[in-house]
Amino acid sequence: MPSIQRLPDLLISQIAAGEVVERPASVLKELLENSLDAGSQSLDLQLEQGGVRRLRLADDGCGISQDELPLALARHATSKIASLDDLENVSTMGFRGEALAAIASVARLSITSRARGSSHAWKIDALDGTTEPAALSQGTVVDMSDLYFATPARRKFLKSEATEWGHCDDVFRRIALAHPEVAMQASHNGRLAHRLPSGDLARRVSELMGEEFMAAARPLEVTAGGLRLWGYAALPAYSRAGRDAQYFYVNRRFVRDKLIQHAVREAYSDILHGARHPAFVLFLELDPGAVDVNVHPAKTEVRFRDARAVHQFVFHAITRTLAPSIEAGNLAAAAHPYTPQTDAAAPNFNLQQQQPLHWQNHAEASRLSPSLDWQNSGSNAGGAHTVAQPLAAYQRLAQLGTTAFDAAASATAADEAPLGFALAQLHGIYILSQNRHGLVLVDMHAAHERILYERLKNVLAGEPQTQQLLVPVLINASSKELATLTEQQTTLAQIGFDAAAAGPQQIVLRSVPALLQRADSANLLRALLAELADFPASKVIETRRNELLATLACHGAVRANRTLSIPEMNALLRDMEATERADQCNHGRPTWVQLSVADLDKLFMRGK
Amino acid sequence: MLLIKANRDEILRPLQSVSGIVEKRHTLPILSNVLMERTTDGLTLLATDIEIQIRTRTTAGESAGDTALTVGARKLQDILRSLPDSADVSLVMEDKKLAVRAGKSRFSLQTLPAADYPRMSASEGDGISLDITQKQFKRLLSLVQYAMAQQDIRYYLNGLLVVASGNELRVVATDGHRLATAVMPLAEPVATRTDVILPRKTVLELSRLLADSDDALNIRLTNNQVLFNFGHVELVSKIIDGKFPDFERVIPANHPKLISIPSNELLPSLQRAAILTNEKFRGVRLVLSAGSLKLISTNTEQEEAQEELEVDYQGEALDIGFNITYLLDVLTHVSGDTVDLRLNDSNSSALISFAGNEGFKYVVMPMRI
Repeated sequence: MPSIQRLPDLLISQIAAGEVVERPASVLKELLENSLDAGSQSLDLQLEQGGVRRLRLADDGCGISQDELPLALARHATSKIASLDDLENVSTMGFRGEALAAIASVARLSITSRARGSSHAWKIDALDGTTEPAALSQGTVVDMSDLYFATPARRKFLKSEATEWGHCDDVFRRIALAHPEVAMQASHNGRLAHRLPSGDLARRVSELMGEEFMAAARPLEVTAGGLRLWGYAALPAYSRAGRDAQYFYVNRRFVRDKLIQHAVREAYSDILHGARHPAFVLFLELDPGAVDVNVHPAKTEVRFRDARAVHQFVFHAITRTLAPSIEAGNLAAAAHPYTPQTDAAAPNFNLQQQQPLHWQNHAEASRLSPSLDWQNSGSNAGGAHTVAQPLAAYQRLAQLGTTAFDAAASATAADEAPLGFALAQLHGIYILSQNRHGLVLVDMHAAHERILYERLKNVLAGEPQTQQLLVPVLINASSKELATLTEQQTTLAQIGFDAAAAGPQQIVLRSVPALLQRADSANLLRALLAELADFPASKVIETRRNELLATLACHGAVRANRTLSIPEMNALLRDMEATERADQCNHGRPTWVQLSVADLDKLFMRGK
Repeated sequence: MLLIKANRDEILRPLQSVSGIVEKRHTLPILSNVLMERTTDGLTLLATDIEIQIRTRTTAGESAGDTALTVGARKLQDILRSLPDSADVSLVMEDKKLAVRAGKSRFSLQTLPAADYPRMSASEGDGISLDITQKQFKRLLSLVQYAMAQQDIRYYLNGLLVVASGNELRVVATDGHRLATAVMPLAEPVATRTDVILPRKTVLELSRLLADSDDALNIRLTNNQVLFNFGHVELVSKIIDGKFPDFERVIPANHPKLISIPSNELLPSLQRAAILTNEKFRGVRLVLSAGSLKLISTNTEQEEAQEELEVDYQGEALDIGFNITYLLDVLTHVSGDTVDLRLNDSNSSALISFAGNEGFKYVVMPMRI
């Protein structure tokens, strides 16, 4: 019979290392977090062979004094927390006190550090635990080499050098995005990979995510009930095939949390094509006491005390950011920089000649001068649909007269009608419109579909209509489903499901939402329960309802080859401007594109 | 070899009576064919979709010798239908192809061997036999068939329950939201109560094929099949193996509020109100107060329709919502001078019956609007 015995310390650390030190990237994460917790302002990282051969990190943090150096390598020794209270309100990156010990148990490790105020630095070698004086101007240098030299079996699980470097790069990016104030630099095999000066978030994001992301990203800053969410969320135009451009931080800690992912996906669900993934860099800040990060050693999962509130907050914050209709700022992001010399000149000229009388008598005006067409049609649309802005804009323009009129006024006009005014219809499919940037092409079916869809959604928001069942549906259910049902009965009732437990393994369904009465109610309820079990709020019904509404909208929308008159087209453009999420059709495809004058010039090689 | 030579209609009519069940798309190619069998008795046409099989016979025209083949039902029917009415058509089997000739038109159709054609096996047991007229059964079906479910996962609702017991034959159909049931008397009582569920397709096919005449119809109900014999047609259908909901339990017995309305007033009012119902919910509110019944509907554009009917009612007020389609269905399919509407409260079902149409009952659940 095997006897029970205490394991040696080294073996305990090696077991712990299995969780903590999965690959070089996890070593890097621990070391970077230590450096940031030490208050460093500048970090220098050097890797060799994907971090397996060597991983050296130099920082300018507070350092470790000579007598604490051996402790730093000991298991469950940390400076970051001291009591349970500290653990519950942890505000540092690390706190478990096992990373360095775990790393030391599977790799060669040395730490050189100079504590602030001490006369020189000390170096400790983890292999024998001896300290010796060393030369270092400030901070700490952690030097790890030969990862897994002590446990060759694990070495076999390492991937190629390029893959391991890729993982290290990921970790570096994640941490660099969250700390724009810290200057960071990384090199691999002696080649510089990143040099990030300290700066603001916008600069760091654009350095790491690219200009393209920044062009499509909308800044976000929402605070409510002790929660704050800020950062950048890309419009659906910049979506990705994978989840590689998704960075979410809770109290500056990178997380890949199911709840958060769900909230974000829901927020994008209405505007993003199903197979695409959104791109974002978002930071959630909340009271450290309201979130438990001690779920997993890697700390990429967190638990929220009030999961429902967090879910709703994230969902609404992102939805609101993405929803606004087409406006100048949005347009500017999509369009190329505005150059007054080229594209403002022509309309200026026309407007300068325009007298108040002309736009009142547009039929005549258009006969007199074909170039006035777009202004004429604009006022038509305003009249027919009682949209005040375009008319108001024209009156203002007219009042400005011929002398005061300049490029700035033209900008005001364009702001009032970001999508410009229709010129013509192309092949019965596209609307050509002219705005201050140049040419706008609108897919009229897609655009109209979105307008109708949003309108239907607005009408149907609120109290659900329910159809009661003559023959109740009996559904076989698991005990988990039954438990969820009992917990969420009121939520279910709110969306129109009257369901109750009918036995230890059965649910009886007595009413269903009227809109979905033709759907397979048993499957619907199961999907709903499954989602409610994991997430505090389910959008299953809303999603299904929206699918139906989308179909309705699709049937109701103008079809290709339907000839639209100029006033009709202008009305559609104004509707688009007033509609939320009008940039994408219901299936996530864009509804319009901007071709700036500069783009068109390029086609004809003008000004080259 | 000559299969048949006859006037176009003599061939087309029997073909049309069997070809209705032939599915357009099939994984089994032979199922889109019709079996044509020539014997001394005449020409037999048979079509099946595995669930239902229809056979009919014609003795018209001239022919020679025994032969059998299968040919694409839809194509043959389309050809025959587009020939002139008076055309004399001959179908001739030539080297595994069927030649269709009429006047100067020539068609050659691919055939598949008759031996490969699937046929439904004979029924088990004797079952019970009912003799009624075609008209009676056709009318019975028409009273309830619109209430059958369509592609419901509760497969047993995608059909029609037939119950023969004692001196009556009852049919019941429900889609889970509303239920319709009707009864007809039988001349001879049946020995044992028999319940079968006819598939939806069988019901639709039957009401298409049955004539509005007093000609005889024989129905034989067995454990796994139902056989209908009328005219030259023999229709065999599998039955749905499932437990139909207990219809007696959902028919309310004690609804206190009774409103009687002439159906020629209620139906047009409902049809007008339906114009402004939401196209997905189709909800209509019935607002009942002393002496008056108001029908109110609104749509997504916030437009409203209001219809008021004078009724002989003195009870308490009630506001109840329904899917208007369910109300229109019953009023358009069932005739009767006066509609009796029985209600309880806004969460209970409504019972609709017609004076002079005893045995017909229609139960519909309300909708919360």
